[in-house]
Amino acid sequence: MLCRLRVNGETRDCAVVPHTTLLEALRYALGLTGSKQGCDKGDCGACTVVIDGESALSCISIALACEGRDIVTIEGLARNGIPHPLQDALDVTGGAQCGFCTPGILMSAWALLERNPRPSRDEIALALSGNLCRCTGYTKIIDAVELAASQSAERP
Amino acid sequence: MKAPRNNEPPPKGDAPRKRDAPQAESTATGMKVPGGRDMPREDRLKPPQWPGGRAQPPGASFHVIGRRNRKIEGLAKVTGRAIYADDIALPRMLHAKLKRSIHAHARIVRIDAREALAMPGVHAVITGRDLPEYFGIIPWTQDEQALCETKARYVGDAIAAVAADSEWLAEEALKRIHVEYEPLPAITCIDEALEHPEWRVNEKSSEGNLSKHVHLEFGDVDGELAGSDAVVGGDYWYEGSTHAPIEPHCCVADFDATGFLTLYSSTQVAHYLHRDLAKVLGVKAQRIRVIQPVVGGAFGGKSEPFSLEFCAAKLSMQTGRPVKILYTREEVFYAHRGRHPMRLCYRTGIRRDGTLTGVDARIAIDGGAYSSFGLVTTYYSGQLLTAPYRMSAYRFDSTRVFTNKPCCGPKRGHGSVQPRFAFECQIDKLAEVIGMDPIEVRRRNSIGEHTRTVNGMRITSNGFAECLDEVERASDWKRKFRRLPYGRGVGVAGSMYISGTNYCIYPNEMPQSGVQLKLDRSGRATVFCGASDIGQGVDSVLAMIVAEELGLDLGDIRVVAADTDLTPVDLGSYSSRETFMVGNACLDAARKLREQVAGTLAARWGCAASEITLAGGVACSVRDPERECMSVREAFQATEARHGTLGSVGWYQSPKLGGDYRGGTIGASPAYSFTAHVAEVECDPETGFVRVSNIWVAHDCGRALSPVAVEGQMEGSAYMGFAEAMFEQHVFKPAAVHHGPGLHDGPSLLDYRIPTSLDTPDLVSLIVESVDPEGPYGAKEAGEGPLHPSVPAIANAIHDALGIRCDRLPFHPPRVLSLLRAGDARAAWEKARGRVATAPVAGVGGSGAGRSGAGRSGAGAC
Amino acid sequence: MLTLPAFEWLRPANLDDALAHLANHAAESLVVAGGTDAVPNLKHRLHEPRWIVHLGRLDELRFVRESEGALSIGPLVTLSAIARHEGIRRDFPSLARAASLVASPQIRNMGTLGGNLCLDTRCTYYNQTYFWRDALGFCLKKDGVRCHVVPQGRRCVAAHSSDVSPVLISLDASVDISNARGSRTVPVDEFFVGDGVHNNVLVPGELVTRVTIPAASRGLRAAYQKLRPRAAIDFPMLSVAFAARVSDGGCEHARLVVSALGAKPRRIGGLDALVKGRPLDDALGEALAEAAYRQCRPLTNVAYDDAYRHEMVPVFVRRAVREAGGIA
Repeated sequence: MLCRLRVNGETRDCAVVPHTTLLEALRYALGLTGSKQGCDKGDCGACTVVIDGESALSCISIALACEGRDIVTIEGLARNGIPHPLQDALDVTGGAQCGFCTPGILMSAWALLERNPRPSRDEIALALSGNLCRCTGYTKIIDAVELAASQSAERP
Repeated sequence: MKAPRNNEPPPKGDAPRKRDAPQAESTATGMKVPGGRDMPREDRLKPPQWPGGRAQPPGASFHVIGRRNRKIEGLAKVTGRAIYADDIALPRMLHAKLKRSIHAHARIVRIDAREALAMPGVHAVITGRDLPEYFGIIPWTQDEQALCETKARYVGDAIAAVAADSEWLAEEALKRIHVEYEPLPAITCIDEALEHPEWRVNEKSSEGNLSKHVHLEFGDVDGELAGSDAVVGGDYWYEGSTHAPIEPHCCVADFDATGFLTLYSSTQVAHYLHRDLAKVLGVKAQRIRVIQPVVGGAFGGKSEPFSLEFCAAKLSMQTGRPVKILYTREEVFYAHRGRHPMRLCYRTGIRRDGTLTGVDARIAIDGGAYSSFGLVTTYYSGQLLTAPYRMSAYRFDSTRVFTNKPCCGPKRGHGSVQPRFAFECQIDKLAEVIGMDPIEVRRRNSIGEHTRTVNGMRITSNGFAECLDEVERASDWKRKFRRLPYGRGVGVAGSMYISGTNYCIYPNEMPQSGVQLKLDRSGRATVFCGASDIGQGVDSVLAMIVAEELGLDLGDIRVVAADTDLTPVDLGSYSSRETFMVGNACLDAARKLREQVAGTLAARWGCAASEITLAGGVACSVRDPERECMSVREAFQATEARHGTLGSVGWYQSPKLGGDYRGGTIGASPAYSFTAHVAEVECDPETGFVRVSNIWVAHDCGRALSPVAVEGQMEGSAYMGFAEAMFEQHVFKPAAVHHGPGLHDGPSLLDYRIPTSLDTPDLVSLIVESVDPEGPYGAKEAGEGPLHPSVPAIANAIHDALGIRCDRLPFHPPRVLSLLRAGDARAAWEKARGRVATAPVAGVGGSGAGRSGAGRSGAGAC
Repeated sequence: MLTLPAFEWLRPANLDDALAHLANHAAESLVVAGGTDAVPNLKHRLHEPRWIVHLGRLDELRFVRESEGALSIGPLVTLSAIARHEGIRRDFPSLARAASLVASPQIRNMGTLGGNLCLDTRCTYYNQTYFWRDALGFCLKKDGVRCHVVPQGRRCVAAHSSDVSPVLISLDASVDISNARGSRTVPVDEFFVGDGVHNNVLVPGELVTRVTIPAASRGLRAAYQKLRPRAAIDFPMLSVAFAARVSDGGCEHARLVVSALGAKPRRIGGLDALVKGRPLDDALGEALAEAAYRQCRPLTNVAYDDAYRHEMVPVFVRRAVREAGGIA
């Protein structure tokens, strides 16, 4: 079937069988391999994308069900090749070790900051509670979100 | 030292006996590596010496090392551009899946794949007969086949593989491969394995279900125990756990028309994989290229070859098309190689002044169905306990058995996390018996630097005492220990770990790590190295060392790593060896070029080479930096004009180390790291829930080349230990009325519960820098050591909080609650407070405070 | 990765179209809204429908209406929308709380009220891959004939695992159910049945179209307590919803629901006599805890053993009562 998805501001068509998840469509049909597959079924958050402003799990979303919705993936965060402050902050704090949970973490964090630009550490931890990280113990990830939020606040 | 007793005959070094000599050395198609095994000892490569040693900066101070630099691949990762194995798609690529055993133990009578092969879009099916050659990471325990040929040994053991146009079709085709089984009695635990040698799990075992037995004794243990003021016995159970990297195993194999195989795989040991591919596939090693893409976490779970790599390669050879295999999360649990479940029985003696005396350990290890690194695990379970504390005498007796479960192997802190848990709990109990603060007990027994352990391991730098000081201070220990209200508590533990091992996995005398360095007249350096970055940041360490030596910006350095076509051998990312060994190799290569560059400039300016500084992209003399100055790029060009094309090689080979007895090299490392933790807990006595609120981690990593990465390793280690302590259990359902044994209890990230951001304590990392004389710039490991104390520190904190001893993992609510119910926890809690609060440190107990009574409890129970 | 089974895709434009399809093909169809329960189950081959009927376009089922008489919520309202909704937080905080404790942020953003209400029951022997269940020999809920939790059992005892349902029962909520021929209203208290295979009263062709909480339930002293190993992601291993009408003369009326133990939430009986006229204090909490302990019989169908979960019943009931009573 033809599946028309709006991803990172662009309308993209792909041919998929109905039993295609959004994650499969993004990764294998559209070449957006930034979103990762970790657990198969919604338990780890590595596949997190933002749909209509809210974090969502692309590995348990049926691609066809996402037609007409506004999807943002990790590839959509940087603007004109310049990393988003969150991406930069995560790099500075060392919040990405193996980097595999990182895209999902960033999408959850981005959705949080869009809704709540100055979250507390507890609010950050809560927003990231559906994203499993096996490398960092989360400390430097939470540091990064705090850092990005404080930097955004300092900007005029 | 009393001569070690051993149940097996010599020779030294656990060399293979004739009859089970490593097959890798004898097959025509394998990679034959004599590697100078019989080379005289004095001819062994020795690391180069530099006048100022290797711990110091090339100039007056460090410019790159020790700074909070970004990782060189960091931005690729945060922008989603890093390429992992499953991100690779090749033209005409097929997808393959593995058919797995539904029985824990069964003879394979017949495999009928006709129905699967008849499906449109299905291209090939292979079975054990197609890949009969045995392999295994340790040359003399090669007991695995890529696909089981005659027998399946656990639920999930791979039996056949099918390649099809799509992953979906391959999965459908699995249901049309029909396997006829003859179920056999299954071994599900250590006791069954020992009681039923006739139910043989692994035919390659030397005897029954025995995988490995080690018995070593150093000094007079029984005498030391008898002469102690208190002896504590304890039985411990360390539950199995698995690595659970977020990236599942994945590989892409591409066998081309010229007979050349390229394999991309999420491995942490490209070199060993290269060797075993040659052996199993019957393809010459020089016709195989292994490439490690960016790896999404490994922790030891990708440190040996797996079925998928052989099967993808074989299917690619059969179909002439690229083949990808991506494990499902469930299959990652079956691939396993995780923490061995261990039953540990300790007797430990102490004198009233806090001196540890004799240590007696008996350890039973559940290995699962295959050997993996099990030989090493069995040694490590004893050999790595002998620091950071001095002990007068030590004996351990460790037995690893085969069971019908996924194979255990090396998980972060391989082999020594389990005994460390038991032993640090023992110390806590001993401290309580003699009425001494447990940090003080540890301090008094600290083995110190430049010394030898009771089992003959050479200790160089040692910052353990400072680690204890740091966690004591940062946690406000003195105001908390035995002083917090009921339900809250603090606990301490210490540990040590290796920075690589001088025991190479296959015997040879070639360097353990090699680096090629190329300087370009554009002002760029490229590092070629077989090292495996699995997220710990070794690529960045390489770049930082080159930047420091040659005065380049980090952005001007490229690292080409873990590609067997392009990079010299490094043995891979295991045993915490990368920073130490590849760092030294890189330092070697970089210093050789630095000498050329400095020599060129010195000649030009008429000064001494030692007066040349290379830093921040600028080369100058210290004598007249204003005038005698040029860009590093120009310096490279001048050097190239003088010396010809610029390049160098560097290597590292550890000195011969270890005790002079069979197995005495296992656990010998050129340097040891040291760690201390304090954990703080808040417990809910009504539910048994324990919340670990804080862990303070002090770690002696030699010199922190990259403090951000070191902290990351410390925090990640503490997290992983905490997770094992509180949540994780890689366990299996016992047989029941309507089903057989060996079903994994929940092979998913929903049922295998790794902690979320809301469960994880505040982790505070405190770097201690002892500066090791042999490490690159003085560095030691940081990736595995800091995991060890997490578990016992939490157990000891729970005791401080509730008055119960958690001697079994995990400390989950039902277990904590049942411990609270089992005795008068409150009374035990009151008693423990009284001991430290009232007893002066030196004069505890008078007659028989510990030797009889409570101190003996548990002794002899095993 | 685990793949989805093949299916045909149906995305009705409105409720009538959906019901019309279900009128003829309900047995071969699986209705999917947020997909957070259905899609993993599909990947496990627990459902193998011919059609997936996707309700995402049915905007008519996405509403929160507050009126004098009642609060009504469309089944497509997401759990995070419920957790955030000011009116719900004010009038029915235990519902907002329960919604906020479901799984993870992403799943709350995707998952719907209707989906959580109609959540498939869960069991350690059921929520597994096809391979695993094959190795098990399957179970009577899917593909097999035997129960592994109760070896002699003939009825599925998989656990009701919805967070919102016990709260809705405690708040005396009702559901509107429609099919192509008409609709009916059922109290949530009567919505569930004790059969783990299919644990509610929906018959093929029916959909939940509205959840209504009566105005009378405003101002109840209510609470929700959940036992789970991790502070996120996990389903409840035990859940307790409590709501009481309290006036100057003490408790007038109370509902206590304990769930995640068996196939349906258990409403603890005999409460009126127990609570009438008594203050909402620890003594009452103790009495309710004891009653709940006696009436609940957990099974080893989910994590943590039955004995532990049974012991936790009174603990969590006491905590719910304290929370409802505002006792710190």
